[in-house]
Amino acid sequence: MSATQELGLQALVEKYPDVPMSIILKLDLQRRGISFTDATADATNEPYYRGPEQTAFSSKDTTQRPFPGPLLLRDGTSVLASPVKGQFSDPYSVDYVDGKFFVFDKGERIDEVDFSPRPEFYGKLTSRGVPMESIAWSRPQRLDIYPYRYCHYWDTRDQCKFCAFFTDLKKQKQLAGDSYAKVVHPEDIYETVREALREPGRFSQINLTAGTDYSGDVPFEKEVERYIEVLQAIGRNFRTRRFPSQLIAPAYTKQQVKRLYDETGLSSYCPDIEVWDKELFKRICPGKEKWFGRDYWIKSAVDAVEIFGKGNVYTNFVAGVEFSQPDGFTSIEQALDSNFEACEYFAKNGVIYLSLVWTPWKGTGLAGQKQPPLEYYVRLIRGLVEIRRHYGLASDNDDFKHCGNHGDSDLERLN
Amino acid sequence: MSKLPEELIELLKDPATSKIVGTIDEDGTPHLVAKGSLTTLDEESIVFAEGFEGTQSNRNLVRSIWFDRRVSVNITRGLTSYQVKGRPYKYLITGSTFRQMINRARERRGQEADIAGVWVIVPEEIRNESPALRAREVAEKRGGFHNHLDVLRPKE
Repeated sequence: MSATQELGLQALVEKYPDVPMSIILKLDLQRRGISFTDATADATNEPYYRGPEQTAFSSKDTTQRPFPGPLLLRDGTSVLASPVKGQFSDPYSVDYVDGKFFVFDKGERIDEVDFSPRPEFYGKLTSRGVPMESIAWSRPQRLDIYPYRYCHYWDTRDQCKFCAFFTDLKKQKQLAGDSYAKVVHPEDIYETVREALREPGRFSQINLTAGTDYSGDVPFEKEVERYIEVLQAIGRNFRTRRFPSQLIAPAYTKQQVKRLYDETGLSSYCPDIEVWDKELFKRICPGKEKWFGRDYWIKSAVDAVEIFGKGNVYTNFVAGVEFSQPDGFTSIEQALDSNFEACEYFAKNGVIYLSLVWTPWKGTGLAGQKQPPLEYYVRLIRGLVEIRRHYGLASDNDDFKHCGNHGDSDLERLN
Repeated sequence: MSKLPEELIELLKDPATSKIVGTIDEDGTPHLVAKGSLTTLDEESIVFAEGFEGTQSNRNLVRSIWFDRRVSVNITRGLTSYQVKGRPYKYLITGSTFRQMINRARERRGQEADIAGVWVIVPEEIRNESPALRAREVAEKRGGFHNHLDVLRPKE
């Protein structure tokens, strides 16, 4: 990478006065990670904030307390960052002082933050006796459901090289007991959503994602059937045909996508491309390359716009992974050019190409690799937003309050 | 934060009071909207609900919290009026205050009423704009040279 000197938060706030401090801070919180002081760990363990006992994310550290969910910055921006011990070399610290949470960087107080409260359905059981907090997890305004907790790309060691999902399935089973399986029963999902919706104003979107299951007479057919069943179960909770929702899933055929749209109330589809460059896609996403390659993934997203409509199809990319070695980019300009080319292509076709910050988690194929500097992310999100604005696209389904992963959609609040 | 004046607190809590929020568009044009939900919950800050993310007023408020710009609030009932200048400190999308405000919205406007978020404004300058007070201040400062002569006649 040809960065001369890496600028920090304050220097970048001055250099890019059109980008608010909160969004640059968010990018850096995700890039460098966070840690909790004991006071914060204690405070977030209290009933108001206490997180779920189990999630789909892997952790071998049984001493960690439940994570309360994304950070909330003062402007409402949610930040998906978790204080996983031993993961980060230079994390921001979140401390609890005089009844409030603050982010600190090397002892300097940066800003006040908060967490969303524990949703009221946590701690309750479905009629089949399954803990609801093992079925769905809360972000500040979003309900996350993982109907299938296993990714078959791992079976053949074709998992995405940056992926840390579903790597600790055994522990999840132990945590939830025998009632918890890798396939979640649609009735448990129906009941959990029904209970979650009793809380006024708590959720404005439901997000589904899962590990990949390419099985079936037609590839991915079993997975599509499963999503249809789950979405229909969720849909029984609404009186409207469609409900605010997003499915992050593999690239499907147009017929499969049409079934998802026609047979359920799903409102948005997101097949993640992960990395735009053709050769990097092959190396970093070998499973996606095998089932059925980059061009197929791109076509699937573009075709889906005919079904879901302009601006309702997304594709995420893991910003920074394009620098990963052995054959990643070595210059920031190269990486920006590649991503802006992708954003332009997708935007022209009505698809939103959204960035999220790469964390080289330990236990992934890219552990220990160097992330690009913070300035790369600032330049990246400015450019992406500018391109999408030109094409009249805004990421309402994946914005500051729903996801917590995308600095570029946060910046669209002024559009 | 210091406590708001008692008279202002009483006005803020009265649903019959007119409450206007003034923000600045990107091009510098003032933008005024009535906010029936505007009140104080802690008697130190001002809160109000925002119905939608994409409104001009909300974009202006986002710009204000991002780039440290002030907003104005006018609170008027009859001949009593206050202007409060301050800065947006928080935009709440969840939590106990958000819950309180959405419940209030539903009590007032029915169970299908919805809000997008809640702004918290920290007052920096509070000015009593009641006409009688303003008149006394102007008279003390500038004298009575601008009064119409007919109002100076003896009462009949």
